[in-house]
Amino acid sequence: MKRWMTPTTRLLLALALATAGVLACSGQRPVAGPQSGAPPTGPTQGGRLVYGLSADANGFNPVTDQFAAQSYSMTGAIIEPLVSVDANGDWKPYLAESLTPNDKYDEWAIKVRSGVSFSDGISLTGDIVKANLDAQKASPLNAAVFVPVKSFELADPMTVTVKLNQPWVAFPYYLAAQIGMVVPPASLADPKAASLKPVGTGPFIFKEYVPDNRMVVTRNPRYWRQGLPYLDEIEFRILPDSQTRAQTLEAGGIDAMGTSRDEDLTKFGALKDAYTVHRAQGMAVSEYFFLLNTAVAPLDDVRVRRALAHAIDRKAVISTLRGGLTEPADGPWSKDSEWYSPGGYPDYDPAKAAALVKEVEAEKGPIRFELISTPDPNTMQGVELAQDMWRKAGIEASIKQADQADLINRAVTGAFSVTVWTQFSSQDPDGEYIWMHQGYAKPVGQISLNFSRLKDKQLSDALDVGRMNPDEAARKRAYATVQERLRDQVPYVFIDHLNTGAIVARTKVRGIGEHVLPDGAKGLPLTGSPIPYHPFGQLWLSER
Amino acid sequence: MIIVHRLVRLLVVLLVVTFLSYALLNLLPGDPVTQILGLSATEEARAQLRAQLGLDQPLLVRYLDWLGGLATGDFGESYITRMPVAAELAERLPVTLELLVVAQLIALGLAVPVGVAAARRAGRALDQVLTALSFALLSTPVFVLGVVLILVFAVTWQVVPATGWTPITLDLGWNLTSVILPAVTLGCGQLAVYARLLRTDLIATLQEDYITLARALGLSPRRILWRHALRPSAITLVTAVGLNLGALIGGTVIIETLFGLPGVGRLIVDSIFSRDYLTVQGGVVLISVGYVAVNFAVDLVYAAVDPRIRRA
Repeated sequence: MKRWMTPTTRLLLALALATAGVLACSGQRPVAGPQSGAPPTGPTQGGRLVYGLSADANGFNPVTDQFAAQSYSMTGAIIEPLVSVDANGDWKPYLAESLTPNDKYDEWAIKVRSGVSFSDGISLTGDIVKANLDAQKASPLNAAVFVPVKSFELADPMTVTVKLNQPWVAFPYYLAAQIGMVVPPASLADPKAASLKPVGTGPFIFKEYVPDNRMVVTRNPRYWRQGLPYLDEIEFRILPDSQTRAQTLEAGGIDAMGTSRDEDLTKFGALKDAYTVHRAQGMAVSEYFFLLNTAVAPLDDVRVRRALAHAIDRKAVISTLRGGLTEPADGPWSKDSEWYSPGGYPDYDPAKAAALVKEVEAEKGPIRFELISTPDPNTMQGVELAQDMWRKAGIEASIKQADQADLINRAVTGAFSVTVWTQFSSQDPDGEYIWMHQGYAKPVGQISLNFSRLKDKQLSDALDVGRMNPDEAARKRAYATVQERLRDQVPYVFIDHLNTGAIVARTKVRGIGEHVLPDGAKGLPLTGSPIPYHPFGQLWLSER
Repeated sequence: MIIVHRLVRLLVVLLVVTFLSYALLNLLPGDPVTQILGLSATEEARAQLRAQLGLDQPLLVRYLDWLGGLATGDFGESYITRMPVAAELAERLPVTLELLVVAQLIALGLAVPVGVAAARRAGRALDQVLTALSFALLSTPVFVLGVVLILVFAVTWQVVPATGWTPITLDLGWNLTSVILPAVTLGCGQLAVYARLLRTDLIATLQEDYITLARALGLSPRRILWRHALRPSAITLVTAVGLNLGALIGGTVIIETLFGLPGVGRLIVDSIFSRDYLTVQGGVVLISVGYVAVNFAVDLVYAAVDPRIRRA
């Protein structure tokens, strides 16, 4: 047998080992970066993470700038909310120490956590929280959400009382989003500066921002949660093209990225030794559906809406568009949600669809409408599929392309018949109140937050019960009614729960979706859609 | 005199282009107010913001207001970021300029030897291979070429980063690494065009009487080609370099998005999608001025290339 080591090789190996030994004893170790040697058993301090995002933020000021998923990723590393959501979907205090309602739930006492300070050195107080909430109520971004709020009052230096004009059981959930993020007084005084250089109580401090390119944040040495964050620095790199974002991950240019492409889930999911894929689940997942304008003909006839639903083969759409990766939707909440209630959706039944079409045509003539879609190939493919299914049922839908801005404007003003739409990812069903309640349905031509313009008393009453009744069983019954009415009145033709939103990371990136809240509860792994986001304070880098 | 004439022409071009782009942009369906405030804003909040931005004014009034500001160097303020448009453009311009210049240098640097080689061996195997390659490059869309180049050079060989941008002021080496792949992608299409133009003109020039005379005088083919034929054959090439600037700027929009570069093209596209009219207008002014200026420079280059033009 041939010897595999020559004397020279052995000499070189011995020299290499000796050098390694000397270096190991010299005490010189990398200042940053994951520790080498034996595989770590838990989180290690240090390291730099490069994280790919699909778009830039419109600004980082939670009071003045509209936040999308990518805004939450970047801003959430710096600015924290009063409330968070745990893995069970229940709200938990975060910068607040507690939130206590009165008996009627028309008043909430927010006790602010003590010992928290902003990175500019200012301590968090009730005064500052009140100023933030007042600014949010005055902000045009959130005026509709804070309609039930009468006032915010300072009860004592660390407690803010929220006075409401009606009971609001799920109020704390709203403080887990942009509305509940707290900035220091300097940011409130200079909103423009706060839009570009965010300051907060979070685990990281703003370092650098180059629009459409990157944002860099560094560890906050004064962070109020002991031992956190683990990482020294994060670079958020903005890479709008999904394909090159995935290629950059493969090339090692980034360590993790958000995606909503099913091919990324399949490709990186198969490479388990190199990558981890974390998918959004439950209430955090939004639904993909056709939004119907119930205020215009022919969609003002419920039989037409039911025919549209009966004609759609959701499984065929899912297999064509999403590689079979998502679940069919029959309402705004998925089957793995505690709020889900089964039954009653007008399932795929072409014969029933054709019969309904015939019935309507006999009275009113042919059924024709315009179907609006964004021009991207995947969406267009889905729209063409639906067009074909509807044609087979005897319904003529002509496709019109519109970009996102046009489509949104049409939905808000009612200048549409049917359009593709994605929505409903609030943690609590009350988060969908303004989108479904008849009080928010306005005539065509006026701004309507209830885009379908469905005015259904039973549905709206049930939403009111869900908002005002603290009894959980009563709330569940109410939201079962909501689902029942949506299935009966069909303002939306549901397709699927869009759970292809995911974070793909190299295996060295640990802690995604595994964060723990201040009270020790496990936090909600991923939030938001179509690409989810998560906190960064408890992420760490392992050796591999 | 020629400069005054050009300036007047620039002003006319600017007026026409900016008015047309302003009108077209405002005709686009979609509302900047909804883009700024999101879906959950009330009608009152929307009306208030619309008035605040001056969007409740007639189109012509708004355009004249903007034009008045432009005359004093004020490009206005972005609806979305609330930053001065001039500052946003100034921040992005170096990225796009560098990309354009490097892409042109790559295209011209390769097109001249390729064009000369093809003309010298016109009709032979090398010419046919180069012609086929040129057509392949011409018919490949930049987004396909970009993805393929990333796959080969960044993912497989890992010799350059796939995406990202390092400013020249931060690190020259990293800057060049980050610009090379986008610039090659952008320049490849131009390289094919320039090489084809130069080849055709050179073949025509090589049939001129003075070239026959040069040959009869015993000058070497290399000397004839590079010293006597190339310059007069470069007129069309120089014209194409100026005219192609528009196509190149169009290409930067795709390239900047594909490679994640924070340039002017991407800013304009993002601004169109968010109906940020004033930022788009600022970009239009910048591109118009740049286009006219480059073509003015091209006119000056003609004179340097061909003495007959200088004398005329």
